[in-house]
Amino acid sequence: MPEVAIVGAGQTRFGDFPDRGVKELFAEAYQETLASVDRGMDPADIQAAYIGCLSAGGGFQLGQLAPLLTSYVGLPDIPSLRVENACASGGYALVAAICAVASGRYDLVLAAGVEKMRDASANRARYWLGVSGDTEYERLAGLTFAGIYATMARRYMEEYALKREHLALVAVKNHAHGAQNPKAQFQRQVDVDTVLRGPEVASPLGVWDCCSTTDGAACVLVASARVARSFTDRPVYVMGWGAASDHLAIHDRARITSLRATVSACRQAYQQAGVGPQDLDLAEVHDCFTIAEIMAYSDLGLCEEGRNAALLESGATRLGGSIPVNVSGGLKAKGHPLGATGIGMACEIFWQLRGQAELPSRQVKDAQIALSHNVGGSGGSAVVVVYRGG
Amino acid sequence: MGAHVSIAMYQRNIPLRYRLVGQRCQTCGGVNFPPRAVCSQCSKGTRFEDIQLSGRGVLYSWTRIAGAGAPSEFAAQAQALGSFVVGLVQLEEGPRVVAQIVEVGRSAPRLGQRVEAVLRRIYEEDGVIRYGYKFRPAGDAAPTPPGK
Repeated sequence: MPEVAIVGAGQTRFGDFPDRGVKELFAEAYQETLASVDRGMDPADIQAAYIGCLSAGGGFQLGQLAPLLTSYVGLPDIPSLRVENACASGGYALVAAICAVASGRYDLVLAAGVEKMRDASANRARYWLGVSGDTEYERLAGLTFAGIYATMARRYMEEYALKREHLALVAVKNHAHGAQNPKAQFQRQVDVDTVLRGPEVASPLGVWDCCSTTDGAACVLVASARVARSFTDRPVYVMGWGAASDHLAIHDRARITSLRATVSACRQAYQQAGVGPQDLDLAEVHDCFTIAEIMAYSDLGLCEEGRNAALLESGATRLGGSIPVNVSGGLKAKGHPLGATGIGMACEIFWQLRGQAELPSRQVKDAQIALSHNVGGSGGSAVVVVYRGG
Repeated sequence: MGAHVSIAMYQRNIPLRYRLVGQRCQTCGGVNFPPRAVCSQCSKGTRFEDIQLSGRGVLYSWTRIAGAGAPSEFAAQAQALGSFVVGLVQLEEGPRVVAQIVEVGRSAPRLGQRVEAVLRRIYEEDGVIRYGYKFRPAGDAAPTPPGK
C-alpha cells in the first residue's frame, strides 16, 4: 500500500503573462489547488512547502524565495524551502515533499514550482539556461543548452540512423496534443514541413525542436495515505519514485545517446512501484528538445534501445496509442517554466488519472497508472515518479 | 549578461587551458581532463601526476551554433562569422573535451574526422582576453601541442 497520495492540484496556464510576477503566478496555482480538494480543506493544515525554482524569481530574490511566496499566500509560519536542480527543480520539490510525508513527520505538504522567464531579456534568459551545464567547460566553449542536446542528437543520428524527420515528428505530435490543452502555451498544430523549414538554432535542431521560455506555476498537495481520504475519495497514489544524478558535463559521460540519470531514477521508481513500462497508461516525459523525448523512450523502458524511432512512427505515443506520451503537449507545446515543469507534470497526471481532462478528446481513456519524468539541464539530474488512481 | 568566471578562477586553470595538461591517476593509470578530485575512471584514485596531452583526437559529435542563439560572451564572434561550430572531441589519451572547431568554414564536419588542438582567443571578460584550446582539422604534418 502506498504511503503517500496527491489530493489536490492546480496550475496556471503556461505562457507569457506581462501582468503577473512570480508571486502572482504562485498564488494563482495555489488558490486553484485549494479549490481542487474535493471535500475542501483548511490551509492551516498545510505543514510544510517545497518550491522548485531555478532562477530565484528571475534573480530578484536570491535568498529565501520560498518563505516570501508562502507568506504571500497566507502561510507565513510553515517551513518553506526553495529546491533547485535546474529544469528538474519541480521534480525534486515533489520528491522532497513525498519524503517529508513518508518520514511520518508531516501529513500534508505543498509541493510547488514557479518560474518567471518572460520578464528576462533574451540575453538574460540565455544566461539562466546556459549556466545549468558545466559552466567552465561547456558554456565557455560557446555551447548553449540547445547546443548540448544538438551534440547528443548528432551522435544519436549517427549511431542509430535516426533521420532529421524523426525529430520533427516529436514536435508535430506534441503540438497536436498541446492544441487541445487550454493550459498549454502553444495551442496550435504544426506540420513536418514547417518544423523542417524553421530557422536553425543549433544544428541539427531548429526552432521547432526547442522548448520556449515560459511563465507559469503549479502546485500539488501531498498527503499521507492515512489522511488522504479525508480530503477526497479519489486520491492519486504515489506508487514509487526515483532520483539520480550524472556527470554534469557531456564530455565526462561514457555515452551521450542515453541519460544515465533517467535510467537509474526509472529503475528505482519501477522497483518501488512494483510495475513496469508495460503497465503504464500514459507518461509525461521531459521533451525540452525533440531528441530528448526520443532518447527517453528507451531510457524509460517504453521500447528497446534502437527501436525509439519505430515506436514514434508507429503512433503508439500519440493520444489514442498504446502508451500516449506528453498528452499535455509536453515541454515543447505546453511550455517549460523550468521550476514549474516537474509539478505541472504531476498536475496533468492527477487530472488524467481522475478522468478530469478539460476536453473529452484529450482524456486518456480508463487511465490507471502513469509516469512522470523530469530532467535537470542536459541530464545532470532526473526524477521519475509512478502514480496510480485511487 | 555572460556566465561569470572570475580572472582568479580562470588563472588557476591556465596550464590546462593553454597547454592541455591532464592528470594521470596513480591508482589506475587512467587519464582525466579536466582534472578531478577523485579519478573518473576508477572512482578511487586521489593522487595524480600531470601529463601533457597530445592535442590529437577525433570528432565524436558536433553542432553549429546559430548567430542569434550564441551565448552573450560569444555574441560578437557569432555576429562576425554568422555561426560557429562546437564539437565534442575524443582525445587520443581517452578523455573527451568540448571545444570550438575552427577552420571548417561552412562545410559540415564529419564524425570520426581527425582534429588537433590550437591555442586561440576564446572570449573576453572583465577587460581580459581569455585564451584557450580550440580544435581544427588535422593536417598531414605532425601536429604541435598548443603552447609549445
